[in-house]
Amino acid sequence: MRTRVGLMPKLFDRVLLTLSCFGFAGILLGGFLNFAPNRLARGVASAIWQAPLVDAAVAIAGLSGLALLSFAPGNKRRSIATILAAVLILWGTLAGAGHLAALLMQAGLPAARASLGPAFWILISVTLLAVVDAMQRSSFGYPARVCVGVVLCSGFIVMAVAGAFDHLSLTREFSNERGVFLTELLRHIGLVGAATVLSLIIGVPLTIFLLRKGDAKGFVFASLGIVQTIPSIALFGVLIAPMSKLSEALPFLRALGINGTGPAPAIIALTLYSMLPLVRGFYTGFSEVATEVKEAASAIGFGARKMFFEVELPLALPALISGLRVVTIQAIGLASVAALIGAGGLGTFIFQGIGQYALDLVLVGALPVILLALLANLIFDMLSALARKNL
Amino acid sequence: MIELRNVSKIFGGAPAVSDLSLTIENGAFFVLAGPSGCGKSTVLRMINALIAPDRGDVFVRGENVQAYDPEKLRRGIGYVIQSAGLFPHWTAADNILAVPRLLKWSPAKCAARLDEIAALLRIDLALLDRYPRQLSGGQQQRIGIARALAADPDMILMDEPFAALDPVSRAALQDELRGIHARSAKTIVFVTHDMDEALRLATGMAVMRNGQLVQTGDPASILLTPADDFVHEFVGGENLQLRLLDLLPVRKLLKPGKTRAIGAIAADASLKTALNVMLARKCSVLGVEDALGAKLGEVTLDDIVARRDGG
Repeated sequence: MRTRVGLMPKLFDRVLLTLSCFGFAGILLGGFLNFAPNRLARGVASAIWQAPLVDAAVAIAGLSGLALLSFAPGNKRRSIATILAAVLILWGTLAGAGHLAALLMQAGLPAARASLGPAFWILISVTLLAVVDAMQRSSFGYPARVCVGVVLCSGFIVMAVAGAFDHLSLTREFSNERGVFLTELLRHIGLVGAATVLSLIIGVPLTIFLLRKGDAKGFVFASLGIVQTIPSIALFGVLIAPMSKLSEALPFLRALGINGTGPAPAIIALTLYSMLPLVRGFYTGFSEVATEVKEAASAIGFGARKMFFEVELPLALPALISGLRVVTIQAIGLASVAALIGAGGLGTFIFQGIGQYALDLVLVGALPVILLALLANLIFDMLSALARKNL
Repeated sequence: MIELRNVSKIFGGAPAVSDLSLTIENGAFFVLAGPSGCGKSTVLRMINALIAPDRGDVFVRGENVQAYDPEKLRRGIGYVIQSAGLFPHWTAADNILAVPRLLKWSPAKCAARLDEIAALLRIDLALLDRYPRQLSGGQQQRIGIARALAADPDMILMDEPFAALDPVSRAALQDELRGIHARSAKTIVFVTHDMDEALRLATGMAVMRNGQLVQTGDPASILLTPADDFVHEFVGGENLQLRLLDLLPVRKLLKPGKTRAIGAIAADASLKTALNVMLARKCSVLGVEDALGAKLGEVTLDDIVARRDGG
């Protein structure tokens, strides 16, 4: 790495410098870990330098690296160096948190809790933002992005397997729930998947109808827009009464397990929320296929079927994928609320945690929701890049 | 042969074409000219049944287009529009081969035809693997014409194909198109609002206004005897005399015999070109030679002016 020697080195990247300043400020101001004798007691904050020296030093070296790199001209080499520095921060922070928790818990109080404090989250955010920024600046391809993701995760996984985080209360809450975690995770994915498929089944014909009959557009979009404005908790609640009436009236629905509460109303609510972004995205996608291209296609003898599959669909595909992305990510978030009406999913941990004032339990639900959303985003981004390749 | 009999079409209450009858002979380069919104594109689209007339009939090769399977009809008629309308997700080669593939030609036949058509339209083979967005406007339009010609149809419809091009590409493609027409027996129906383009290309033309034919005939007769003030204004206005000179070859005013003129001009060049050369060289007489460079005689400024006055 080269920095200009002189009184005033030239600053090339304000973002990087700001990020590293945030990191240092977080370390100085915020608590890194919060140690409390039990769930309800006020805790005592500890700083990162109370962690084993090596961990803190690695994290701080990474932060200093970021600061220095902001004075280097931007290029691919700097991006790679930035990512390496970010990896140092991440690994140092993770290891520090784990080791510090182990030190604090040596006192042996069974109800004691070591929770992650603001400084920890600031350092993690700085890491991720620096990595994302570096990848965007050097426009990394998807294979490279996935590699970086694997490197970042591998350190975490190795430490987790080695038991480095065992004394953190987040890990403890997770171990308590380990038995049901996978079930709830799969149920969450199931809710999202079912709602997405259902909204496709309704949305695709609706889109085709709107494309044929343009005058219905205003009415349909306005109605779907109204659904979109209903707060999610209200919509879930509103469905309980009619759904239970329905299952009372129709025994075969009850036999299928469709009830006023549980997954059925949750899936219906998620589907209703999905309709507007889905139909609007699909409608825009198809109506934005250039008219002269469609005209040319029909003028040289494309039939309706060939026109759809060889011209309209491939040209609209990127827009369709981005519509689907919005719908999926929105459903991943909203499905958390479904736990309130007994549909299960990761929201179960969130609401349990809130109820028991166990903030670490909230995280057991919330963090996987965030990760699921990021993963879905990445997958749809890759699909959309594939679809756009020849456009 | 293409024939329209008493054809009318109404769009949203306003007549786009009213009671129009027109016959286009095989092998014609027929230009439909007129100001924007006069219904010329509608006429063109009725020929390949993209638009069905409200009244009247359209006959192509002696058969009513309503009786054709529309896809089959259209695969037999080339079609080019202003923005080329190329498929953005297909390479130039795939675009060109769109109709042959619809017609289920064998891959070998397609490949052979691609080479042929690229040579005919002087398309650089390196361009064939590119996507439309990687091509200039002129190159795209060349591909668009290649696509229309690919299955070797006997008729081609063109809707203002060169309107969006720069003058140089436009002139080059006009020459190309005129050459292709001259060497084949294809019928071309060409819509334009550009009178210079119409005069340069047409063997026959029709001027339209408000959905009706105002005048039909060969370009020179329309220029010389415009049916009314509208046609007069549309075909020439102030430039009418210069346009007329553009239509007539030097050969028409050739004075055979020896000449002392220093410059020379080809007998096939237009009188407008001759006048231009005289103005540029500040002379009033030019030698005339044939394509091989043999001296034929001379043409004089006085003759050009007299011809003009006589017109």
